[in-house]
Amino acid sequence: MSKRRPYVRPMDGWWRKNPYFVEYMIHEGTAFFVAAYAAVLLVGLVRLSQGEAAWNGWLHSLTSPWYVLFHLAALLAITYHTYTWFKIMPRTMPPVVVGGERLPAWAITGTGLAVAAAAGIGLLAFVWGMAR
Amino acid sequence: METYKADVVIIGGGGAGLRAAIAVAELDPSLRIALVSKVYPMRSHTVAAEGGSAGVKLPTDKLDYHFNDTVAGGDWLCEQDVVEYFVAQCPVELTQMEHWGCPWSRTPDGHVNVRAFGGMKIERTWFAADKTGFHMLHTLFQTSIKYPSIKRFDEHFCVDLVVADGRVQGAVTIEIASGELTLIEARAAVIATGGAGRVFRENTNGGVVTGDGMALAYRHGVPLRDMEFVQYHPTCMPGTGLLFTEACRGEGGFLVNKDGYRYLQDYGLGPAEPTPRNKAMELGPRDRLSQAFWYEQQKGRTIDGPHGSVVHLDLRHLGEAKLRERLPQIYELAEQFLGVDPALAPIPVRPAVHYTMGGIMVDGLCASPLPGLYAAGECSSVGIHGANRLGSNSLSELCVFGKRAGEEAANFAKSVPPGHSAELLKQAQAVEQRVLGMVKKTGGNERIATLRKEMAQTMEDGCGIYRLADTMQKTCDKLDELKQRFKNVHIEDKSSVWNTEWLLAIELEYQLDVAQAMAYSALNRRESRGAHQRLDGFEARDDVNFLKHSQAHYVADGAPRIDYGPVKITKSQPGTRAYGAAGEKAEQERNASHV
Amino acid sequence: MPHMSDIQKVIEIEVLRYNPETDKAPSSQVFEVPFTDDMSVLQGVQYIKDYLDGSLSFRWSCRMAICGSCGMMINGVPHLSCETFLRDYYPARVRVEALNHFPIERDLVINMEGFINKLESIQPYIIPKEPRTLAQGEYLQTPEQLNLYEQFSSCINCMLCYAACPQFGLNPDFIGPAATALLHRYNVDSRDGGKEERMDLVRSEEGVFHCTAVGYCSEVCPKHVDPANAVNQNKTNAAVDYFLRFVSPKGGAK
Repeated sequence: MSKRRPYVRPMDGWWRKNPYFVEYMIHEGTAFFVAAYAAVLLVGLVRLSQGEAAWNGWLHSLTSPWYVLFHLAALLAITYHTYTWFKIMPRTMPPVVVGGERLPAWAITGTGLAVAAAAGIGLLAFVWGMAR
Repeated sequence: METYKADVVIIGGGGAGLRAAIAVAELDPSLRIALVSKVYPMRSHTVAAEGGSAGVKLPTDKLDYHFNDTVAGGDWLCEQDVVEYFVAQCPVELTQMEHWGCPWSRTPDGHVNVRAFGGMKIERTWFAADKTGFHMLHTLFQTSIKYPSIKRFDEHFCVDLVVADGRVQGAVTIEIASGELTLIEARAAVIATGGAGRVFRENTNGGVVTGDGMALAYRHGVPLRDMEFVQYHPTCMPGTGLLFTEACRGEGGFLVNKDGYRYLQDYGLGPAEPTPRNKAMELGPRDRLSQAFWYEQQKGRTIDGPHGSVVHLDLRHLGEAKLRERLPQIYELAEQFLGVDPALAPIPVRPAVHYTMGGIMVDGLCASPLPGLYAAGECSSVGIHGANRLGSNSLSELCVFGKRAGEEAANFAKSVPPGHSAELLKQAQAVEQRVLGMVKKTGGNERIATLRKEMAQTMEDGCGIYRLADTMQKTCDKLDELKQRFKNVHIEDKSSVWNTEWLLAIELEYQLDVAQAMAYSALNRRESRGAHQRLDGFEARDDVNFLKHSQAHYVADGAPRIDYGPVKITKSQPGTRAYGAAGEKAEQERNASHV
Repeated sequence: MPHMSDIQKVIEIEVLRYNPETDKAPSSQVFEVPFTDDMSVLQGVQYIKDYLDGSLSFRWSCRMAICGSCGMMINGVPHLSCETFLRDYYPARVRVEALNHFPIERDLVINMEGFINKLESIQPYIIPKEPRTLAQGEYLQTPEQLNLYEQFSSCINCMLCYAACPQFGLNPDFIGPAATALLHRYNVDSRDGGKEERMDLVRSEEGVFHCTAVGYCSEVCPKHVDPANAVNQNKTNAAVDYFLRFVSPKGGAK
């Protein structure tokens, strides 16, 4: 009779045991804000389809301090999500070879962040131009 | 006790053992193969080989050149017919490794690339960056998974061979995870357990390199041949002994003393040129380079470090880019273990024990004198290394003779009937009683670590780079004493599961036997040849009395009996072993006289 | 060799012990170990075995970060103990445990049979695209083609990546980082034609979609294999394969 008795350690609270996992959980958590913001926009779209009064009501509700607070929080969370998303991006792609040399991870992350920033600023400029 | 019925049992899952297993499986898929290894195969010490594997590749190279380099490198103590077979098979086997997926480094047009190595006339060392052994081992291990007839016994520790009717009929193993014993019945056995470098204090070897297979065969009456020839690698990390591959010098590295002087030119290896020249200076053979270090130390021209004297391996002129491409592992070892950036500073190095040229006596077919027992790789003495192995010949040896041992063992297995299981089991049970008795025994007072340390120290003292009769005698006496004290060894751990203290004790007993064979063989060889160099009146090579193989025979509870066997010489008569400019001159003279 | 002449520094090493024959569960034991600045954690643990407690069990061999035996959790982080140095923890206590997410056989020894089974399941050998005899010589493979898979062939099977992968911890059937990296290594080797056979495993229940891109596996890899990259490239491969099957009945693998 074998005397082996392999001991399996429990996984409870695994994500609290390593700062890397905490960061990962925060990253995953910020995805909630992405979804929540999409839901808010979707409601706006529904309101728009229901006529001018409904739309204005929705616009008005957005000026409440709670909504402003939510938007600030969402901005922060989505910025963080964007940053960590591009940080992991080089690990998810096939190697990119430019001129016989493999593109380093920082270049991929950097390009991603730059494109995200440019798109954000571009959108802002576009909306601002429309509003004027 | 569990019994497993195999046809061929292979003990050792490193390069040679895996190659042997594949050879048996390919020769006859109906043969049942038991591959026993005390570690998972990819942990075997083949993994640590760095520089490369030799095989004629370039159009300018010839099999004869490889033959001549090997025989002269071995100071003519080689079996020349075996060397001839070996050099012819090297390119074939290395190509086979390529077909199995080994990631050999390539030339821009896609062919396998070769690099220069010590003692080799022309570049013929196939390499996979500086992790050649790692890649060869993993390629062989992963390829072996393809063959359903190979049944692996991973983390099974072999404690004895079973011999009946005058032939090997199996092996007894401990399953490390449970501490339970298994009898593996087989009609032939291949030992491929690697070297025994851990009997020395400062060595490049992994913890598993304890000469187990050598001791197993030796105790069953098979002689250990040429055991006095132990290779010191000239460029190792002080303290730990970790290896900086010869490829550092193959790529153009320099060895300098405390004055920044390339001292090898003072020892018949010059002239010193800015780029490497084959068979000269830093690309001389390992025995000569380690000996030169010893003389520099005597002259006070080495550098003092916390772990003894060192010289400098200077790679700075190669530049970071080339170092990162060709020597990435060396780069990381220097940075992590020594805090040295080799692109900016020289690496401190000193010689350490690296390889056992001798081993289980086998013929060119890898057959030992004990019927049914075959051996391949570092544990064996098939006769290709002589008194000094050339770097990169041993990885090729694993393939060439691993395959041959496997095929020969398979053919032998098919030619004999299975044994009588009841009798084999009875023998195995006696082995079980003996090894379990070691754990159960109480009252011992010798610590394993103490005995092991004393053994390693006395081997370094008596059987180092240069040897003297009186210190060798002291080493022999000390080993006799340690063997007596071992009887009183104390094992604290009384459990069954993963009792590594028990295994360490068994390994130590193996090591003491192998160390004795080395020390007594050394004491008895009254000449200097290759890696065996004496300073007590026997400084010259003596072909009249000692152009022969030493054979150490096991004597229970006593000193080994040493006798000698002939050396097979076919086409290369013993000559002067010269390197550098002197070597080139000697070769021209030889060629002229052949016309 | 430690130089005892200088003032000897002593570090506390806390080891997670477990003996299945006497213990219900693992517990910690602290040892005081004299050390020098060039000593690795492995050498510290070896000192314990040699001089303080012979019953301590752990795996090790090469001492130079290539055999892959000596992975341990060191202060909660998976490391090869041979290339992790005591000086970097001193004067604090250093905690050493068996690799996370694997069953403990004893002390620092984990059960790695599951990993070996996975390795065996991925067909880790060349399935030739075009068979070639030895007489025909080597396959040609340019340095660029070599470069595509070389990184993934550098895996030493140390399993630090599994100890870093919470998804493996939560579901031990997940094929996991190293095995996927090796699978990918063969799939992208120019000599190999076995990709189709291996893709079944990639997209299976145990396959790559268990991975949630934590990415810690690649952080802890001592050989820069970047297994997360192999896993995530194969998510794309499996997805492409899935959609291509609507176009061609044989799927995308060929």
